[in-house]
Amino acid sequence: MATQTQFATEPQSDAAVERKVQRLRELYADAPQLGRDALEQGMPNLKRELAAGTGAQNAGRIGARQGKVSELTGIIPFARGGAKRLQGLLEALEGNFRGGDAVGTLHDMRFVFLENDTKLLFATAYDGDWDAYIDDFVTKIPHSMDLIFCNLEGWPGIHSPSVKDYIVKHQIAAKAWYVANPNLTVAETRRLEKIGKAMDEFLDQVS
Amino acid sequence: MSTQTATANRPKQDLTPDEKLEKLKEIYADAPELGKAALKNGLAMLMQELSATGRAQTAGRIGLRQGKVSELCVFLPFVEGGARRLRGLLQLLQGNFRAADAVGTVHDMRFVFVENDTKLLFATAYDGDFDPYIEDFAAKIPNAMDLWLCNFEGYPGMRNPKAAADWIASHQIAAEAWYVNSPNLTAAETRRLEKVGKAVDGLLDQIG
Repeated sequence: MATQTQFATEPQSDAAVERKVQRLRELYADAPQLGRDALEQGMPNLKRELAAGTGAQNAGRIGARQGKVSELTGIIPFARGGAKRLQGLLEALEGNFRGGDAVGTLHDMRFVFLENDTKLLFATAYDGDWDAYIDDFVTKIPHSMDLIFCNLEGWPGIHSPSVKDYIVKHQIAAKAWYVANPNLTVAETRRLEKIGKAMDEFLDQVS
Repeated sequence: MSTQTATANRPKQDLTPDEKLEKLKEIYADAPELGKAALKNGLAMLMQELSATGRAQTAGRIGLRQGKVSELCVFLPFVEGGARRLRGLLQLLQGNFRAADAVGTVHDMRFVFVENDTKLLFATAYDGDFDPYIEDFAAKIPNAMDLWLCNFEGYPGMRNPKAAADWIASHQIAAEAWYVNSPNLTAAETRRLEKVGKAVDGLLDQIG
């Protein structure tokens, strides 16, 4: 679905940037006036973006990645009564996903109910490659996974050999993915948070 | 499109962890066998989660927040030709969103084409509250915003920040639940810590 190609990371030559600008002008020839104005007025900044080496990569089997951080986005129909149950579960949890902390590779995660509570949008940012990520969930928090996802149509169970195919089937790869700090995994960020605190205390002591 | 009520906006129940568990068992009475088994076998982790103080907050006008980090999720209808233009733009940018770096409050963002390229799902994690976040975009990168959002129906333009914020909110669907691993770090603080970490490593290398 999305561009799964890995790109080179070298900066682009001036000629290559000019070709891209040309293509954008052609692409936006039939855009609303607002968009054509934005293209011309924002050109200096845009050229810098077009000139940079690309950060887009893929997350293995499916999904986009930037640096160490990948995206997973799925839209999955609820089973009968599933929306009611999941809503009750999420309400009781009040955002305390200790399971998410335990996995240790999950940056963020959202549950969004769509189309009159008939579908769930599930979207996460996580570390590394798709297969390793799913394996992590299977080994570390299988019960939390089944408790959440048993409410979706056709969920085969976290220990089922077909669970990965099920997820892939409902996943929609992002066409574009941005991460502000692409070089930091969850674990590295946590470590840095501790270093930061220790440094602050140290500086307090010497001052 | 869906329930606009955020979990955090619902009245607090003040149940004990055991009462919450009882309620969950009732809710899961008609769940598939798999789910009922998970409730029983995953009890240790679940009780930890039910006992912890709620982390869910709201992001102001709409959306959820955990600590300093909020979520925004919209489904935007493409105008005619909009999907083709946005796809072309994103392909040429190749993931180089310098503009988002310039705003400095974006943690991550994804562009997902759904429903046969008639709509875009845009989902982001960002710092702070909804209205200041949109105002930041309007002030710092109006052209970059107009360039991608002009491809959607009814977009009023970033030179009209109030109308743009209302337009975005009208297409937003608040998450029922939102999790952030490091909720106390803004994007800027994380960038600073990355530098601190490098400096500390350099220092330790010199000593050792």
